[in-house]
Amino acid sequence: MSHSLLIISRQAPGSGLGAREALDIALAGGAFDLPLGMLFLDDGVFQLLDRQRPAHLEQKRLAANLQALPLFGVEQLYACAASLASRGLADETLALPVETLDDAGLRALLARFDQVMTL
Amino acid sequence: MSTTLHVIAHSPFGDERLSSCLRLLGADDSLLLCGEAVQALRSGTAPQAQLRDARLQGRLFALSEDLEARDLADTLAERVDYPGFVDLTLRHDKVNTWL
Repeated sequence: MSHSLLIISRQAPGSGLGAREALDIALAGGAFDLPLGMLFLDDGVFQLLDRQRPAHLEQKRLAANLQALPLFGVEQLYACAASLASRGLADETLALPVETLDDAGLRALLARFDQVMTL
Repeated sequence: MSTTLHVIAHSPFGDERLSSCLRLLGADDSLLLCGEAVQALRSGTAPQAQLRDARLQGRLFALSEDLEARDLADTLAERVDYPGFVDLTLRHDKVNTWL
């Protein structure tokens, strides 16, 4: 039985490579059937905005790749409720079907996984 | 249920790692501050108040040489050396480094 891994992604899509690297790890792990979860925390929740036009920054659209997660078997997707609320995204339509978690939910999530990595 | 040792190395000033870590920190989890993160223990600062309010007695650690290098005389965190750091990683099921 493989160890389960929680990936915590806490960088905005436009601020360097962190967001894309976290996603690449998730997709690679998913392709190998690892039991994976992904949590969007802090500025990481900005990745979930559906209507971004990063071509203006000469970047590719991350949301399209994010939507591949369920296809790769990564279906345990979570977002921090406080991070969404403090960024004005509480009622926003998100690019992914994430479960939003309060602080108690976050602590339970972390305890449930065998390994965790934060990018 | 598995326990986590959280490791932070970034200064808490103008950075969300410490606040978010405290949000995620379970009742049996611990926090180790190293590098610039030990600045969170500077007395009279908001991060220090945040750590005090979190009541982490016995679960808050700081790397001794990083405290000394920054002239921090702290009493809130338990001081550990590098072997102590290794011991902490062994006493928890997993380690989460806030990169």
